[in-house]
Amino acid sequence: MTGAVQLILNGILLGGIYALISMGLTLIFGVMKVVNFAHGEFLMLAMYCSFWLQYYFGVHPYLSVVFIIPAAFVVGLLVQKGLIQRLVGSTDFAQIFATVGLMIVLQNGALLLWTADFRNFQGGSGAQSIQIAGCLISQSRLIILAAAVLVMTGLVLFLKKTHTGRAMRATSQNGTAAWLMGINVNRVYMIAFGLGTVCVGIAGAMLLPVYSVFPTVGSYFVLIAFVVVVLGGMGDIVGAFVAGIMVGLIETVGGYLLAPRLGVLCVFVLFVLMLLFLPSGIRFKKRSTVASR
Amino acid sequence: MSGAVKIKPTVYLVFGPFLLILLIFPLVINAPIHLDMFITFCIMAGLGCAWNIVGGYGGQFSIGHGAFFGIGAYTSTLLYLRLGVSPWIGMLCGGTLAAVVSLAIFWPCFRLRGIFFTMASLAFAEIVMVLSVYWQSLTNGNVGLLILYDPKLVNFMFDSKASYAYTAVIYMLVVFGISVAVENTKLGSHLTAVREDEEAAESLGVGSTRYKAYAMMISAFFTAIGGTILAQYTQFIDPDTLFDVALSVRFALLAIIGGIATAAGPIVGSLIMTPLDTLLRGSLGGHFSGLGLFVYGIFLILFVLLLPEGVMKWIREKVFPTINKLPELSLPWKRAEQAEIHTSPAKPVPVAMRPGETLLDMLDISKFFGGLSALSDVSMSIREGEIVGLIGPNGAGKTTLFNVIDGYYKPDKGTIRLGNEDITRVSPPHKICSRGIGRTFQIVKPFRNISVFENVLVGSWQKHSSGKAARAGTREILEFVDLERCSDLPGSNLTISDRKRLELARALATGPRLLLLDEVMAGLNPTEIREMIRLVKRISSEMHITLLIIEHNMKAIMALSQRIVVLDYGAKIAEGTPEEIVRNEAVIKAYLGEEYLQHVASA
Repeated sequence: MTGAVQLILNGILLGGIYALISMGLTLIFGVMKVVNFAHGEFLMLAMYCSFWLQYYFGVHPYLSVVFIIPAAFVVGLLVQKGLIQRLVGSTDFAQIFATVGLMIVLQNGALLLWTADFRNFQGGSGAQSIQIAGCLISQSRLIILAAAVLVMTGLVLFLKKTHTGRAMRATSQNGTAAWLMGINVNRVYMIAFGLGTVCVGIAGAMLLPVYSVFPTVGSYFVLIAFVVVVLGGMGDIVGAFVAGIMVGLIETVGGYLLAPRLGVLCVFVLFVLMLLFLPSGIRFKKRSTVASR
Repeated sequence: MSGAVKIKPTVYLVFGPFLLILLIFPLVINAPIHLDMFITFCIMAGLGCAWNIVGGYGGQFSIGHGAFFGIGAYTSTLLYLRLGVSPWIGMLCGGTLAAVVSLAIFWPCFRLRGIFFTMASLAFAEIVMVLSVYWQSLTNGNVGLLILYDPKLVNFMFDSKASYAYTAVIYMLVVFGISVAVENTKLGSHLTAVREDEEAAESLGVGSTRYKAYAMMISAFFTAIGGTILAQYTQFIDPDTLFDVALSVRFALLAIIGGIATAAGPIVGSLIMTPLDTLLRGSLGGHFSGLGLFVYGIFLILFVLLLPEGVMKWIREKVFPTINKLPELSLPWKRAEQAEIHTSPAKPVPVAMRPGETLLDMLDISKFFGGLSALSDVSMSIREGEIVGLIGPNGAGKTTLFNVIDGYYKPDKGTIRLGNEDITRVSPPHKICSRGIGRTFQIVKPFRNISVFENVLVGSWQKHSSGKAARAGTREILEFVDLERCSDLPGSNLTISDRKRLELARALATGPRLLLLDEVMAGLNPTEIREMIRLVKRISSEMHITLLIIEHNMKAIMALSQRIVVLDYGAKIAEGTPEEIVRNEAVIKAYLGEEYLQHVASA
């Protein structure tokens, strides 16, 4: 019994990580209808950033969020301005291969600068666990889950309560109409992409105590993030959160039933099935979505 | 007619010398580094060509082709190491396995829109990689497999690099040849049509899923063969190098840089990228691993944004025309006597018909969208040789009726018969087309990136089986609709009136018995409308095709129709000769308005 509970807890905690990484991607897709294959590389950059901050200045990864948020926003704005803006409303061909190109550039840029070495968080707290009723809960994973809940709440509130958030929802439904209503659509796109990058930036800093960082760390997570985004309904923030937890559970339970390495296989099989039979995702509450369906 | 064999300047100045270099290079160059580069160039070019078949012509952007590559490498290597099967046989087994797997995996995925297909391909490659790592007892997992060097022809291992080089050259030329064949046959024509507009392609009798599947299988087969060749050359395989996303992207990149959906594109791409790659690796790579791919990525972004059609477009537009101004090379020997085929400007052969007999019979057709009834109990029949008009206010269900007839929608109730056959449940649309019903679309759907000639050719394959006949048929139709003047322009460059003609031409090329025209006059000026009316009349009188026409232009519909059916809110409210319809109370109330009657009376 405890074993089963432990398994489910592990799944939920893993899901928290996936949820945190995916929310930025779903926001970007929802607003701009651009698929960003380089999303995972922003995660990688944030992890390196957090790592070096600790290495040189002794800043704890959780604290490095303070630096990473503005940095990620600026990086997001630059990438949006330089590349993504040209892809809005463009062909699938351009979207896919330009962002895949960016992915390869960032991965190998990191390889050039920092080599292929795996680098780890320095400090003990990553392994610390809380024990509740015989179940072990990793402290840092619990913190990630909390961060995911916070980011989700923040995004939903932003989209619902602020003027910019409303403009963002309008733009996501019909960019041209929003533009005609006096919304500066390009500004909305910049903010959306910046925010998406910030979300994944936070994820990177939070992840460092749990995962090693290396140049291709992003390509594993980005595939999971796609699964989560499609499963949750593209553009749906709360959907991404719930789907993230689901994917975490499936991977953990699947891995337990088959073999640890095959857990992720269950996720991908589910993904292909999803694409085929439920391409618009599982419908969660409609209010949380930024995308029109 | 007999004459000296003439050779175009592009052939004797570009293709000929290139082929010669390919054949001579391995003989005269001995430096291993240069031969290595040459072999890589050929294998990568071949892999690019293989990707191009499904990615370029088919527009299915896979970035999971590394999986097929890996399947090829693993199959032949495992068969050789574990069972002692010659890699030559293993190569064919790997290719076949990859083709079968590609079909099983991607058949369902063909329904997916662009980006989702790409995601699915990425996930597929990941699945194959996870399995190859997991299944250690078979694949040796992450450690990889080493092929012991034992040079024998039967082992697919040679003691000179030149032999490998020739193998690679042959591989490249074969895949290139297949690409050329694809480009110039029905497969390529249909594949391109599906890429450009699936709905329009279906209406011209193209089974979209089938053609995507063919392309995928051919592509997977040759990608896997490339995997075997590389495995035999390096004599080592492991999951990390085979299934790297960057490798899959590289196949695509070569095609994109050279010119996507052109047969020679991937070769040109490889010609540019392979030396660059070797240079980056050779001079700096030791210290800067990742630099090669870093540059690849930058190239990819720049090409996608600035030159999405690749270098070939430039070569075709700037270089070839200049070279072709040079004199042709005349060879002294004579060409074999050839019977001159005069493609006389004969009119298209009219359809055999039995006037007066019922061709299409619809009984109690109903179609609901949720609670909305778009069509309710519509019955009508069309006799052979007739021109029937279909009119009614916007939203009356006219286009829905077309979509029901051509199999795009299935009716919720009622039956449709074509001649003696019940076609109510026949779908998708390409099966309706092959039974002899053609259609045009209200919002024109030209295949934008291919020429007018190629547009019409797509339909022509439906009627003719040989390429020669299909091309001749295309020319006839173009002449018939007066579009031969712009047959080389891309579909996107036409005026609205020519686009309407193009739609007509494509549908006519399929050799229909019944043609459904959806507002072919909309957006035309009075002169163009007069010309279009004349053309539609000729379709009926000279080609003997039965017509059902949706039209809002009353002058046109009155001039053309022998009988008119009026729809309103999905129900048939009137049917009769134009004169009867004009005076019908219900029609006046629902559609024409009192003013029209006065207008007609005063005219």
